[in-house]
Amino acid sequence: VRVVVAEDLFLLRDGLTRLLTAHGFEIAAAVDSAPGLLCALLEQRPDVAVVDVRLPPSFADDGLQAALAARQQVPGLPVLLLSQYVEQLYARELLADQSGAVGYLLKDRVFNDDQFVDAIRTVAAGGTVMDPDVVTKLLGRRARDEPVTRLSAREREVLALMAEGRSNVAIAQRLFVTEKAVSKHTTSIFTKLGLAASEDDNRRVLAVLAYLNA
Amino acid sequence: MGDMWILFPVLWRVFARLVRYLRRGIFLVPVAAIGMALFGVRPWTVAMVLLALFLALWRPVIAAALLPLTMVVAGISGLVVAATQPGSSFWSVSALGVIRRRLISGPPRRHPATAIVGQLTGQGRKVVVTRPGPVGVPSRAARAAAGPQVNWYPGPNARAVAIPAGPGPRIRIEAPAGAPWQMLAGHGKETFHITTGGGPWPGGLLVPLALLLLTLGLWLLPRSAPALRTHAAGLLSSLRRRMLENRWGILLIPVALAGLTVFGVHLWTVAAVLVSIVMAARWPVTAADLVPVALTAFAVRGFMIAASWPSLPGLLERPGVLYGLIMVTTRQTAMLAGAEASAFLVMAAWLVPRTIGAHAHAMLVPGRALELEGRVQRLTETRDLAVDAAATELRRIERDLHDGAQARLVALGMNLRAVERMLPGRPEAALALVAEARETSLRALNDLRDLVRGICPPVLADRGLGHAVRALALDTPFPVDLDIDLPGRLSAPVESACYFAVAEALANAVRHSGARQVHVRMQHAGGLLRVQVADDGAGGADPARGTGLLGVEQRLAAFDGILAVSSPPGGPTMIAMEVPCALSSPKTCSC
Repeated sequence: VRVVVAEDLFLLRDGLTRLLTAHGFEIAAAVDSAPGLLCALLEQRPDVAVVDVRLPPSFADDGLQAALAARQQVPGLPVLLLSQYVEQLYARELLADQSGAVGYLLKDRVFNDDQFVDAIRTVAAGGTVMDPDVVTKLLGRRARDEPVTRLSAREREVLALMAEGRSNVAIAQRLFVTEKAVSKHTTSIFTKLGLAASEDDNRRVLAVLAYLNA
Repeated sequence: MGDMWILFPVLWRVFARLVRYLRRGIFLVPVAAIGMALFGVRPWTVAMVLLALFLALWRPVIAAALLPLTMVVAGISGLVVAATQPGSSFWSVSALGVIRRRLISGPPRRHPATAIVGQLTGQGRKVVVTRPGPVGVPSRAARAAAGPQVNWYPGPNARAVAIPAGPGPRIRIEAPAGAPWQMLAGHGKETFHITTGGGPWPGGLLVPLALLLLTLGLWLLPRSAPALRTHAAGLLSSLRRRMLENRWGILLIPVALAGLTVFGVHLWTVAAVLVSIVMAARWPVTAADLVPVALTAFAVRGFMIAASWPSLPGLLERPGVLYGLIMVTTRQTAMLAGAEASAFLVMAAWLVPRTIGAHAHAMLVPGRALELEGRVQRLTETRDLAVDAAATELRRIERDLHDGAQARLVALGMNLRAVERMLPGRPEAALALVAEARETSLRALNDLRDLVRGICPPVLADRGLGHAVRALALDTPFPVDLDIDLPGRLSAPVESACYFAVAEALANAVRHSGARQVHVRMQHAGGLLRVQVADDGAGGADPARGTGLLGVEQRLAAFDGILAVSSPPGGPTMIAMEVPCALSSPKTCSC
């Protein structure tokens, strides 16, 4: 899997590169600025990009902007954003084009390299990975919202894990239930949220979007 | 009625407090009144008593400090009066009697309210009553009334009355108490003499009293000297400050003093001097306005004197008139007085635009000075609040770092050290510690994240106020209706203040109001950012209670922003903010 890494701090960029190489990723490019990232994404066309939100030149959300710009030209280009903070606003913008293959994680998640690498693979495969922090806030916020109130407590739990980018198998392990039970829950969720039967992955993205786009 | 006795302690308290408040200062009044007794009821003695009363009531401390000095002056004055008063038995037997006689034979003498010139024997005797200096002009009235020649000077306040009864013409001369007089003829060997009406001070009583006052005053003087010096220094510095504050108001005092020489020493001119002192101190602006008015009045008086002076040189029937620096006795001096009046007029004309003109301008241009004054006051207040807020914020950050990230880093270091020791012998235990260390580092990161979010929220720094409020709305656990029209960025401090203001308003809506719907409206127009946060909750929010909204109000005030809260019990709540600020053009993406 070819990866473009965009991170302005040398230590972190170096660490990420090493970590990814150790897990069998191929580093297509490691850049330190937003313009560099845009160029690398458009030229290298990697399988996934791991991008820090805050990048030079203006040290604002340049990384996010560059990733969004690249995804406009290359729809569905998988991007995993890393940040010291997770903002729902940025998560919404990432998910807005509804084509999936996006991730948004706190930098802390790198500490758990297995989960982190899983997340990269999920995004590269077109899945959606949201940081548990974002999901937690969403669950708190959506308590009064119409479509989500129809879900049972268990279904909401499943939806939260789905938003974090976990597969049915992973969810079943986490909740100590059978995979069949999980798939029953997901079908119920899709029905309650009014998502027509279609390709499973896309429906999962749409379910997450049901949270994010009130 | 039997309970009336309760009042007595109360009255005694009031009296005691009054005495304590007035202290020795109140004694200044009787001491000043001695002057009235010594020199008669004259404008300046009355003014002294009034001044003493004013000081004793208004500034008892200063009055007390001045008391010994006043006593010394009164004592010396008493001795001088005793020495110059005829018929003082004390002086006639004392060694000073010689001096006294010299004083008496010398030109100026004062006599009490009425002096009767005794019988004048013979025809054509001359009695001249005059001020010291050149012998004056014979008064026509006096000449007509009295058979003998009476030279009378100065005129209007004194009267000469002829009393025709008796063997020869008798003249009764009435003059104001203390008017100086002099006998030029008929003195000594002639048969007429002067009887004085007798003052209120028999020499025998006056002298011991004066000596007592003098001794007491001299005894007290060294004690009050430091206080007097302090007060004098304070007065000087306050005068200097007032001079700097208002250049022209202080001029009223010398002008009022000059009025004494222009209009003469009367009760009203002396009163004018006192009033001018008070005005220059308390109402410098009005005092400054009065300076050109007074100068114009001087000029009018001068022109009147110059114009009315008889042009015929031979007729010397008018008493001289003092006008400013000039004693007007002749036509030439009258012309000089006219010139002096012109000078006064020029000074008045020069001062008008600087005093009345400037003040009228300040009044017509609507409340400019007042506005500036209010602004200075407001800036001072908000600056203090801003400084306080910054200090508090720094303290909070310091505490958060100390209790949060710093403590966790210490724990982390300790854990790592433990791992170092365990690794050779007990690798499994070390592994558990490493996991713990990783957890600790995560928590430290979380602490830092929360702290930074409290200082400067990331979206605010990245995208500005509009997006930051959108992000805030997303984090609020109920629907927030947004209506944001902000096509650019504001300055960072204003953005931050407004962000935390909206955050506080939303947090209040979440915590207290039980609102189901919040509407946030934000727009920038005409150099003014308007923010409204309205919810449909229970209401009852009050910025005076609780620190949240008060803090927001103070923070906005630093930018001349205002906060208005309308929150009747039962709701709805509406919080409106207005902050004057400029909107910069939106940042364009560089890629």
